Amino acid sequence: MSPERWQQISRIFKSAISLDGEARAAYVADKCGTDELLRSEVEKLLASHRQASAEGFIGGRAADDGAVLLVDEVEEQKAHLNKGQQLGAYLILDQLGAGGMGEVYLAKDSRLGRTVALKVLSPDISADKRRMRRFRQEAKVASSLNQPNILTIFESGEVEGLTFLATEFIDGETLREHLRHKRLEVAGTIDIAIQVLAALDAAHEARIVHRDIKPENVMIRHRDHLVKVLDFGLAKVTEKRSDALTGHNFSTEALTEFKTTPGVLMGTINYMSPEQARTLEVDERTDIWSVGVLLYEMVTGMMPFAGPTTSHTLVQIIEKEPPALTRMMEAPAELQRIIRKAMAKSPDERYQSAKDMALDLKNLRKQLDLGEVLARDDTDHTDNGSEKKRVLFVALVAMVAATAAIFAVNVWRASRARPSVIVPAATPVVADAERRLTYWITVQKFREGKYKDPYTVAGEINFEAHDQIRLNIRTPQAGYLYIISEGPRDGSAVPEFVILFPSPTANKGSSLLAPDQQIQIPEQSWFIFDTQEGVERLWLVFAEDAVTELETVKEFANKQAKGLITDMTQNKVVHDFLTSHSTEKPNAGKGDTLTTLTTSGKLLLYPVRLEHH
Amino acid sequence: MYDELHRLARRYMSRERKGHTLQTTALINEAYVRLVDQKNVHWANRSHFFAISAQIMRRILIDHARRHAYAKRGGGAQQVSLDEAATVTSTRSSDLLRLDEALKTLAEMDQRRSQVVELRYFGGLSNEEIAGVLNVSENTVTRDWNMARAWLYQQLTESAAN
Repeated sequence: MSPERWQQISRIFKSAISLDGEARAAYVADKCGTDELLRSEVEKLLASHRQASAEGFIGGRAADDGAVLLVDEVEEQKAHLNKGQQLGAYLILDQLGAGGMGEVYLAKDSRLGRTVALKVLSPDISADKRRMRRFRQEAKVASSLNQPNILTIFESGEVEGLTFLATEFIDGETLREHLRHKRLEVAGTIDIAIQVLAALDAAHEARIVHRDIKPENVMIRHRDHLVKVLDFGLAKVTEKRSDALTGHNFSTEALTEFKTTPGVLMGTINYMSPEQARTLEVDERTDIWSVGVLLYEMVTGMMPFAGPTTSHTLVQIIEKEPPALTRMMEAPAELQRIIRKAMAKSPDERYQSAKDMALDLKNLRKQLDLGEVLARDDTDHTDNGSEKKRVLFVALVAMVAATAAIFAVNVWRASRARPSVIVPAATPVVADAERRLTYWITVQKFREGKYKDPYTVAGEINFEAHDQIRLNIRTPQAGYLYIISEGPRDGSAVPEFVILFPSPTANKGSSLLAPDQQIQIPEQSWFIFDTQEGVERLWLVFAEDAVTELETVKEFANKQAKGLITDMTQNKVVHDFLTSHSTEKPNAGKGDTLTTLTTSGKLLLYPVRLEHH
Repeated sequence: MYDELHRLARRYMSRERKGHTLQTTALINEAYVRLVDQKNVHWANRSHFFAISAQIMRRILIDHARRHAYAKRGGGAQQVSLDEAATVTSTRSSDLLRLDEALKTLAEMDQRRSQVVELRYFGGLSNEEIAGVLNVSENTVTRDWNMARAWLYQQLTESAAN
């Protein structure tokens, strides 16, 4: 197909898609005239569109769709040993687990009669020089460290063509598993962190940087909660920090090590330090960062940096502050300070040694024992009461955490990205009989190849291509809010609508707003004007009761990508609703920086017009 | 036929519990490593970064699919068992390969629309973010996506029928 033909088809398709039934057929027939071939092309495409959206064709992520391809590849690589089998001096008792590197067995060393964990590498990994280097490194590094919080390595070697590593066996679980089923007490959290830091302190003393501290690599023994740090496979022996080149030394070594086999549980980039994410040279302070992240997660139950994709996460690690702790927990202020310090973006602003950080934690631990620094007002001292309180607190945290994270990030972004913007004060409480809502638009003009400082306007001004905006709304009273964008009409009868709010992420998919709630769309980025001139409308619908029509469409649209209403019937429902209620115009009071809309009815409906030339 | 599909789906799901998340993670890792391996690339901004990640993810998946399709055709040394899982995965690998081909054809006619698909499907970006990367409105992205997806769907169903 020639590009010209393609453009021709796409122009007709674009408009036809927003029509249905006869109107669509008529439109297509009209546009195609006598060109039968063109008409059949367009109709085929429209049918494909229907089918593709019904089937959810390429609706997910390619990585998920493609992941299944790797399952076979990984399964073929495993070595299998059975219970009762003898491998050299070791008698296999049970299988403990399997990973991409190989399998782990519980075994008995018949020479000494002791029980060990036996890690057996898959044959194909043994043939891989780089991964063997990693394996040997783990054996070498960890066995050179003799510290109770570091897993002891007994022996490594080769027998019957299989490479193995025998370590002490810990009857316990990883911190990851631990976190999955248990929410930790603040004191317990601190105890774990102190022990991890003790392990790191010993490693750092020996100039070894672990580089891969994460909950999967921390084990907790059932019996006494003794913590063991595992997996020095990525560890690096460094120069003393003062001798090392700092800053701009571009090294991808740490990261290329991540290119092990598909399926190796190296999956977590969430604990990487900013310098690791930037592939800069790292030193022991990268481990301090990771312990900060670990603490953050233990306290809040959430990872501080976790985007939908790897790239998002990396960008967050490098440039964003994590969601504020105060919003999510009632941990002592001192613990929050310690976490913030460990997670300073610049290594120079972090704790400079594991010892220093451990010292602060130990002091805090002592104070906690004395009951001195509980930040919250704990007046209820009866056992029963505090237990209840705790249960409630845990439930609350679980409920609030997810939204708080998103919210906090937004608040942070908003405050950081646009320091000059003044958020208007709350509007006064309104009478029951009326609906009221205020909105303002944050604008960033694009001039001479650069974005200017953002500022707010009360409403409609003219925009130019590449200008970007955000819409902010505050409602003094509770009510149901819907924001719908109406695209340019392209000459067709029914324009294309997109439900912008609520979305699955915004307000947790609910249209119900609390009094004085403030929202911003887009939640995280901006609406950017393209070069196509015209008028777009953002419809604001604010109602005392949920709007049945819009709730139905919303349910549908929220399942689609970004609120797009792919179904033409539903698109028309929105169109009809807006048209039939547009007659009752609210009173729009424009201030300098915000517009207040008021109506005497139960439903407020208003189009924010965005013109651009 | 319907039962057969259900059986496949069940089998697929049971495998999924075992390896799925891990595999997705592995793929993402691989993409990341390749991304940072590109020493000479100077990331102009995050848009650039996103665009490149999407491209890399696409290449990785296609590489895997190609290897997979080759092995399943008997090119590999190991014996091919014709169980359901093998059928499912080989279908998936050939789907991916055909999608890649169709996307290349689309790029020749319409660069932007093919990019929208690449960013969204391979890069995992939202329309809003794609709008940012391509510097167009979100509505434009939505329209581009609709058109491109319909066309790709058509190409794949037609080539499957032949």
